[in-house]
Amino acid sequence: MSKTVLHCKDIVKTYGEAEAAVLALQGVTLDVYRGEMMMLVGPSGCGKTTFVSCISGLLDFDSGVCDILGKDITSMDTEEVVAFRGRHIGFVFQSFNLLPALTCVENVALPLTIANADKAQSYTKAKVLLDAVGLGEKYDSKPKHLSGGEQQRVAVARALVHEPDLIICDEPTSSLDHQTGQAVMQLLQKMKNETHITIIVVTHDNRIYKYGDRMAHMEDGKIRKVEQLG
Amino acid sequence: MFTIAVKILIEDRVKYIGLLIGIAFTAFLVTFAMSYFAGFMTRGFALVSENPSVDIWVMDRAVSSSEATINMSDAALNLVKSVQGVENAVPLYMQDMTARFPNGHFQAFQVIGVDDATLSGIPKIKSTRDASELLHIPGSVIVDSGGTSDKLQTPKYMKDSYPFDGPHLNAATRKLRFGDTLLINDKRIVVAGVSQTIPRFPPRPLIYTTLSNFKRLTPSQVKRLTFVMVKIKSGSNLHLIAQKIQKQTGLKALTSDDFKKQTVMWYLVNSEDVGDMVNMVVLAMLVGFGVTGVMLYMFTQDNLKYYALLKAMGASSKQLRVMIFTQVFMSALIGSGIGIGVCTLVGKLVANGDFPYRMMWFSPLFGLIGVLIVSITAGLISQHALKNVEAEMLFAS
Ligand SMILES: Nc1ncnc2c1ncn2[C@@H]1O[C@H](COP(=O)(O)OP(=O)(O)OP(=O)(O)O)[C@@H](O)[C@H]1O
Ligand SMILES: [Mg+2]
Repeated sequence: MSKTVLHCKDIVKTYGEAEAAVLALQGVTLDVYRGEMMMLVGPSGCGKTTFVSCISGLLDFDSGVCDILGKDITSMDTEEVVAFRGRHIGFVFQSFNLLPALTCVENVALPLTIANADKAQSYTKAKVLLDAVGLGEKYDSKPKHLSGGEQQRVAVARALVHEPDLIICDEPTSSLDHQTGQAVMQLLQKMKNETHITIIVVTHDNRIYKYGDRMAHMEDGKIRKVEQLG
Repeated sequence: MFTIAVKILIEDRVKYIGLLIGIAFTAFLVTFAMSYFAGFMTRGFALVSENPSVDIWVMDRAVSSSEATINMSDAALNLVKSVQGVENAVPLYMQDMTARFPNGHFQAFQVIGVDDATLSGIPKIKSTRDASELLHIPGSVIVDSGGTSDKLQTPKYMKDSYPFDGPHLNAATRKLRFGDTLLINDKRIVVAGVSQTIPRFPPRPLIYTTLSNFKRLTPSQVKRLTFVMVKIKSGSNLHLIAQKIQKQTGLKALTSDDFKKQTVMWYLVNSEDVGDMVNMVVLAMLVGFGVTGVMLYMFTQDNLKYYALLKAMGASSKQLRVMIFTQVFMSALIGSGIGIGVCTLVGKLVANGDFPYRMMWFSPLFGLIGVLIVSITAGLISQHALKNVEAEMLFAS
């Protein structure tokens, strides 16, 4: 029996008000367990991004329960949510979101820098992870000198550097070609197997479904079914 | 986080330099406008400045500037002299008079009469001779352009001087010099020297002469004494003696500094020209501040995505605030530094010419504080904008 990392029940989220209101999440219920990779799929506009924003505390939701690592995020105030997120959650975005002003090492070390960790130790850790994602040569390169795949690998390293419990990936492969996308997914899978980290991957790309352990199908703001993969 | 803020700030060199130039321009504009204003005001109290050895100025109670004056009875001088703590007191006469040039052309002058014995109040003259020697010549005066140009022109040729057939207004002219004559109230005066004292605001040509000559030019005048210039005994308290003079004589006694201040106040309240100038300065500042504010705001707005990212990765609002203000202050301080530096250089250049420019301590300070206030405002607005953005920006493809 795996331990529950994420427990969601009946999450409802509406954008806007009155006539302009969009009911993006209509009661989402989902459990995600430690060490698994959960694929979250569904048609465009069904609410995937909204869902991961809500569970990571980037977006407030109207009602429902959301416990991460046994903590109810609705009971925390804004600063607590920010601190909790910084400590326990890592992100990989479709558009990489690296800071162009920083080198790879600095980018990877960012979550530790934010947490006021020792600089030398942070950089050492960042370098270890850059080695692990195959970018040992690019410590001091700026993102603009990297390919899309390389940038996404830097982003993966950054998501891992502070040893979070949960990594949220929103369309991590959509900006990459097929092969690069596969490489990034293999990397995530490898990290998951080594560290028993929990990963949620939002995707459209059926060629990466195979990396998941389970898959949640979302439609019109609801989870329709969850299936076991492999 | 500080280093990261700085790195983000200077990452886009073009944008950063643009921002600095914008801020520098504002700081320049404000500092320059203030210095320009201070320059005018300095000219406004030129009379006080050109008599630095005077401790206290005594005048009619109704007078509150060196610009608009009314005269006292000559008896006031002795009253002032009799106050304890006064080392010496000398009279100063001041009156606008119209002088006629030999070709018939006329010009209003401010005529300043000084004590015959001490000649206190006479400015430095461009001459190898001493003022006391020069003013010894009967009817002699010292002329000064007082910030005007081409107002001290006398006919070049003898044929145009005191002609029989009326004024020769279009006669060829040259600058006044030693030995030239003019008429005031049909009395002849002789130019004994040309001085170049502090230009006046508003500009006006000046004539300096002795009291006895002044009296000769204004025979029917009853009250001629405009100021009594007091030097106090060394070691005595300036303000105390001013108060004492005021109490004993019933006249107004101001220290030089107070007199300058009152004169500036008088200009601010009474002079339409100065009012217009203040409006212009304020307008220039508002425009500059507006531009700076918008530029800073746009800059942080461009970086909002990065702040959203940092926030997603756990940066507290305090950390973000520190970053935004690091960027804002760094730009503001460097930009103002450049602006004020350039202003100082430009000021040095123009001050050599006949331009009213005086960079006093408060001018750059005002520029700097202005820019800082605008920067803080822009920073606060940016920080506020941060609250509403985050999620969508990060997840956008
Ligand atoms: N900020 C917003 N304001 C209003 N409506 C929004 C906002 N963001 C999303 N929506 C709406 O909410 C619904 C869910 O959007 P969401 O971005 O979560 O979908 P998605 O499943 O991630 O789609 P995609 O696969 O295209 O990324 C959509 O109908 C969308 O138009
Ligand atoms: Mg999406």
